[in-house]
Amino acid sequence: MKKRESLRKSVWTIISLVTLFLIWYLGSRNEELGRLMPDPVEVLKFIAAGFVAPIGKKLLWEHILWSLSRVLIGYVLACIVGILLGFAASWFKVGEAVIRPFYLLLRSIPSLAWIPLAILWFGIGEKSKYFIIFITAVMIIMTNVMDGVKAVSPELLGVARMLGTKEKQLFVRVVLPCAVPQIFNGLQVAVGSAWAAVLAAEMVRSSEGVGWIILAGQSSMNMVQIFAGIVVIGMIGLLLALLIRAAERRLCAWNVRGK
Amino acid sequence: MEQGKRKVQAKNLTKRFGELLVLDDISFDVMEGEFLCIVGPTGCGKTTFLNCLTKLYDITNGEILVDGAPINCKKNNISYILQESSAMEWLTVEQNIQFGLGIKRMPAGMKKERTEEMLELVGLTEYRNYYPKQLSISMLQRTVIARAFATYPELLLMDEPYGQLDLDLRFRLEDELVKLWQKTGTTVIFITHNVEEAVYLGERIMVLTNKPTKVKKIISCNLPRPRDVADERFVEMRNEVTELIRWW
Repeated sequence: MKKRESLRKSVWTIISLVTLFLIWYLGSRNEELGRLMPDPVEVLKFIAAGFVAPIGKKLLWEHILWSLSRVLIGYVLACIVGILLGFAASWFKVGEAVIRPFYLLLRSIPSLAWIPLAILWFGIGEKSKYFIIFITAVMIIMTNVMDGVKAVSPELLGVARMLGTKEKQLFVRVVLPCAVPQIFNGLQVAVGSAWAAVLAAEMVRSSEGVGWIILAGQSSMNMVQIFAGIVVIGMIGLLLALLIRAAERRLCAWNVRGK
Repeated sequence: MEQGKRKVQAKNLTKRFGELLVLDDISFDVMEGEFLCIVGPTGCGKTTFLNCLTKLYDITNGEILVDGAPINCKKNNISYILQESSAMEWLTVEQNIQFGLGIKRMPAGMKKERTEEMLELVGLTEYRNYYPKQLSISMLQRTVIARAFATYPELLLMDEPYGQLDLDLRFRLEDELVKLWQKTGTTVIFITHNVEEAVYLGERIMVLTNKPTKVKKIISCNLPRPRDVADERFVEMRNEVTELIRWW
């Protein structure tokens, strides 16, 4: 029964993807629309060719690795800082009073707005790119960590205290495991946003990366290249999200198993 | 009541939520090894009392003492069962039951023995490796009850613990509670709105008034055990308590 259901779901997914591809394909044949959209077959060819012949100075997979390494560094930093600050700003009263105002001030600033500052502070090298990705991800992670901690029910804490749990143990034995699903949710959303921010990060002068592919496509009016960059960013983003979800399924089996 | 030690003392207990006076100057004692049932109309502040006792709420005035001192969960062996399930969702049934035992650093052998005993008692042996999200509400509540009983607490606080269970199981767990109480000499404070349950279980029954809550009357209930709900004296006592609740 379940197997059949999932089979049916994947059939629909495939139908929807094929339909999108067909619409795109037919649309690009149309004279008017064709000027706005390249032939998808051309785009796929461009992507395939990118693995053999360099786009700009590098092969496509090298561009992808460059971007991934930037995202990875910014994202891992954001995870460490975001989780620590998130806990500090929600579990400890003093931490909340000190950190929360800054959080509230900074969280609604879009990542693009950080670009000028990032350049002034870190120059046009790699550091400013890490910073832009970091600042995008860290806010999302903090938000989710704080929500997760705040959602721990006071009754549950009361019951645990009654059983003799000391305040220090309470964090490790109750608050932390209770907040884990929400934290994972944050990590997942953040990895998507961090990857999306790669374009913003690579707008700060670069000569490689998938964001650069799009920007270079824009300056050379190469629509096929722009679309190829978009498709690649989309695909990698999807893979990253799947990766985090797989990790969650292994680490928080208790939250998934019942469903 | 004259002999024995006072286990819990409530002295002039008053609790306000802003303007709303919920508990109005309540004083009473619970003796060591006693089984006290608290009954009262719905929303009269029964749960508020327990939340004050367990320090979930700050007390506006007065104090609650356990063994003559403010409650100390590291020293006193206390278990608390809430109305709603408070199972830890990231732990299996078995691990939930062991939570208190682990916190109290029970030796491994005893931990294992108690776990088996409790799984058997609430009929969850087959489900020991299930997570709470996979269980029904009744099974969740049984898990929580097993967790609370497992430590053989000296003070057992129960807030309508059986409300979610079907009748059959409720009767069985009421009997098990009495057995546990007789076996371990624990002190029990049991909150319920079910008069029959109170008369079936309690040694004393404390009837509360509507808000602002005061103690209406404390009735001694020394019917022989096991009690028979069809017994004449049982029915008489049940009616007496029902009357007290009805005419506030």
